Amino acid sequence: MSSTKAHAVCAAVGLIACLSGIVTPLAAATLDIPTPYVPSTELNVDEMLRLANVQPKDVVYDLGSGDGRIVIAAARDWGARGVGIELDPKLVAESRERAAREGVADRVSFRQEDVLKAQLADAAVVTIYLLTSLVNRLEPKLFSELKPGTRIVAHDYPFGDWKPDRYVKVSKNFYLYVVPARVAGKWQLALAVPGSAREYELELKQRFQEVSGGARVAGGYLPAFEPRLDGEHIAFILIDENTSYRFEGVVSGAAMEGVVRWGAGPRQQQATWKATRVVGVSEG
Amino acid sequence: MSPGIFSRRRFIAGAAALTAASVVPIIAQSQFFDVPFVPTPQVVVDEMLRLAAVTPNDVVYDLGSGDGRIVITAARKFGAHAIGVELDEHLIYQSEESARQANVLERVKFLQQDFFKTDFSQASVITMYLLPGVMKRLREHMLQLKPGTRLVAHDFDFDDWRPDVKTTIRKNVFLWIVPAQASGRWQVRAGLPGGDFVFDMELRQKYQELDGFVRIDKLPGGVWEPKLEGDRIRFAVVDSRDRDNEATLYFRGRVSGGAMEGELVRGVGNQESRYNWRAVKVADVKPVGK
Repeated sequence: MSSTKAHAVCAAVGLIACLSGIVTPLAAATLDIPTPYVPSTELNVDEMLRLANVQPKDVVYDLGSGDGRIVIAAARDWGARGVGIELDPKLVAESRERAAREGVADRVSFRQEDVLKAQLADAAVVTIYLLTSLVNRLEPKLFSELKPGTRIVAHDYPFGDWKPDRYVKVSKNFYLYVVPARVAGKWQLALAVPGSAREYELELKQRFQEVSGGARVAGGYLPAFEPRLDGEHIAFILIDENTSYRFEGVVSGAAMEGVVRWGAGPRQQQATWKATRVVGVSEG
Repeated sequence: MSPGIFSRRRFIAGAAALTAASVVPIIAQSQFFDVPFVPTPQVVVDEMLRLAAVTPNDVVYDLGSGDGRIVITAARKFGAHAIGVELDEHLIYQSEESARQANVLERVKFLQQDFFKTDFSQASVITMYLLPGVMKRLREHMLQLKPGTRLVAHDFDFDDWRPDVKTTIRKNVFLWIVPAQASGRWQVRAGLPGGDFVFDMELRQKYQELDGFVRIDKLPGGVWEPKLEGDRIRFAVVDSRDRDNEATLYFRGRVSGGAMEGELVRGVGNQESRYNWRAVKVADVKPVGK
């Protein structure tokens, strides 16, 4: 991001605390501190959009869009559409002029509003270069409002609780987060293995993209090995009767489905599997 | 888990020799069976070979091949050629018999020898399930193998040589890829459109982990995101010669003795373009902390 953002903020009393990332609950709840406007260099912009693997079909949101450089680069260099959210009206006006000069005015828009109140539902990529206090206030909003699979790239200041899916250091630190599907809870899992249909009760726990759990079968429990969640893509391994069944699939609301493989090398076999949610369990 | 399947038959010519080995130095030094025979569960065998991505083109060596199950699985399920190295002749007989039953005799071989004396120059994959002390003694040996050779072990690792990949499928399974020697002072020449971009780069290496810096027009800069996998190297350098038009160059290439070459990407998105690069080693640097 470019950066930044005048934005939210604490009153002067809270400023020092906010800058150092330590905010008392009272200050966090009631005060606003300005986020300084510090533009990202072109190099940083390139790295953020590269890490997000921006595609022409993507809508890229920059939260605290400053002079609009990230939004404009997303449209100009990557063929995407871009939306900048910026509190400072002067920077918004400057961004619009810049977009017109760069010939991308039809593919970008700038909204003068608070990033904490912005509507982000159509975002495929969100970029942020904000101070820790604001990053942490955005964390629950982004986790709950963005679609699974949405990529978030943070520059310099990572989320507090949510671990990055990737971390890259090229002059500066960049963090990539992929919004995970919600999989916590119980699922009825069925697979069509030739000769015998199998059913399991899959139970998963989740903290952001980290999942764990296992499957109950008649009288036994199979722990899920190597569980992974990457946006809406899920994978895990169940070992049943001395064979590793490697599940991969896509989560879509209360259903998941995909392919399960077992065996190795030329002798590998596969079948399809489906699971439906039985009882929702809120994530930890 | 069904305990019946994985019963750890702790076998060996005279279980007494094994127990004694850890206690009586004289017996331990007799190089007789430093490693007990504890068969690897079949799901773990499968995972080891899968993690090494074994194909029919591979030659797999199993160190301490026991009853031959890894060697036979590599041949039967993955179509590879496989060689077991085992000290105990009874286990060798048993392995050959199992290979005959599995119909893979023509693709497997069992050598009755000490694997510290085995020639691995033909190996593309080496599997092992050995105790930590033996792993440690093997480490230097393994680092001398052809870059790109894949080593797979389970339960016990190479201590401070971190695995390239670790998975947990009932047990911990580790994959290491023998790294090329990329450490040294290099002169890099990138064929950019405005003329060759030449800079000095110093790389330090600990196993496959790299770290380094560059000097561009005498100014120091970082070597970012360096990665070494066998003889394949990747890193990024910021071309900062023109302050108003900085760009990150993403290098990819191969290391071959005192030379590296490959392709680099400059720019991103639809601004991306590719050029060739080469580097020659101009001096050695001391390896890091081995």
